[in-house]
Amino acid sequence: MRSRRKSRKQGEPTAVTVICRCEEVTEQEVRQAIRDGHHTLEQVKRVLRTGMGHCQGRGCLRIIARMIEEETGIPAAEQKLPTPRPPLKPLPLGLLGEYREEQDG
Amino acid sequence: MKSRTADTLVIGGGIIGAAAGYYLAQRGQKVVLLERDFPCSGSTGRCIGGIRAQFTHDLSIRVMLESVRLFSGLEAELGRGVDWFQGGYLFLAFDEARKQAFLEAIGIQRRYGLKVDFVSPADCGRIVPGLNSEGLLGGAYCATDGQADPFKVTYGYLAGIRRLGGEVLVGTEVDRVNARSGRVVSVRTRAGDEFFAPNVLNAAGSWADEIGRMAGVDVPVKADRHESLVTEAAERLFDPMLVDYRADGCYFVQHIGTGHFIGCYTPVALVPGRRVDSSGEFLTEMPRRMVRLVPRLAGLKVLRQWAGSYEMSPDGNPLCGRTPVAGFYVAAGMSGHGFMFGPAIGRLMAELIDCGKTSLPLDQFALDRDFGRAEALK
Repeated sequence: MRSRRKSRKQGEPTAVTVICRCEEVTEQEVRQAIRDGHHTLEQVKRVLRTGMGHCQGRGCLRIIARMIEEETGIPAAEQKLPTPRPPLKPLPLGLLGEYREEQDG
Repeated sequence: MKSRTADTLVIGGGIIGAAAGYYLAQRGQKVVLLERDFPCSGSTGRCIGGIRAQFTHDLSIRVMLESVRLFSGLEAELGRGVDWFQGGYLFLAFDEARKQAFLEAIGIQRRYGLKVDFVSPADCGRIVPGLNSEGLLGGAYCATDGQADPFKVTYGYLAGIRRLGGEVLVGTEVDRVNARSGRVVSVRTRAGDEFFAPNVLNAAGSWADEIGRMAGVDVPVKADRHESLVTEAAERLFDPMLVDYRADGCYFVQHIGTGHFIGCYTPVALVPGRRVDSSGEFLTEMPRRMVRLVPRLAGLKVLRQWAGSYEMSPDGNPLCGRTPVAGFYVAAGMSGHGFMFGPAIGRLMAELIDCGKTSLPLDQFALDRDFGRAEALK
């Protein structure tokens, strides 16, 4: 069911480093967002959707925290993580709805 | 301690403050916008981005016709994509009383030139392939309604304010509004900075009551928690926002930019307050309602749930205009419709603040109106 957000020719290597694989966000885009004044993980997420895809930030948040540290000097360990959002692992609508039916039934 | 001056200080970096600030700056005003946290950190960044002119209140319809016109030109105006898409809104009627209410609403909407129809269950199925039409009597459909991305629109307006010489200050919480002889003079921030201006716009959303109180003005907004969820992306399945007003109904739309399905329902027992936590009830009940309406969505995975506040006015219509304190204006109480009203309300407030009159009469949204006339298409 998934659609690719940005099309890229099959088999064509690029010099671009992808930071958020789920939303296909590059290192350059993240650095630019930080330089534009988005100095928290929450704010970078709002402008680039990093951490809003299938892995919910498991892959990218630590890397972005480090990039924020590099750009602003705010230590990665002191940065607040975005609010964790249930269901944490993607679950089908049908399954969640059935669970509800069973609870009520 | 530094001091700054502006023509208008805007309190709030959501859609209302951003749009009003932009149109004021466009009129040549020096705008300083003060945002408590970061842009879109309140209701705007938590909304699902629907835009419709299907209302029953005549002023809401007229304001929304203007907003749709502005959204249509926004990408050119702001010089960036905002994922504006006129996929329509389809309100479903499952009982005779609802059908009659929609027919009555359509009568009012058409008087203002809105192209809206009551369509058959078969037509609903054509507009939304895979719709479960069991018990369906038809739907109110307007093809010019649509969606846009709340972040892209708001950030676009804020960039516009900066481009036009204004300032947008984040992490800047207002803790005092100073007035002298019944006229606003300045605001002070928690950090102790004072900003002077002849005009102050309270666009603080759910916090508009607190900001109002600082100026001695009663702004009757009360926050209600509304929950939302978003699924993984899918190929394009249908275009409109689907609205089911039954007590166990819901509304959702497929985001044009990302392909995610995003939706909400209004709980029968409202959850008052500014809390934006999530419930397990919503995470299971919302999928049940979505799958009942469009069974083919069953395999689609939920990625996230979250919540946001509807900043309700007593009658569900916006609170816009002057206040008893000269130079202190309010644009709040959007009651769940702030994003869609934003461009037009922002523009009208800019007219009011800059030249004292508006291209649409805002009296029916005035702070001192009679709150007895509630919006039916909430």
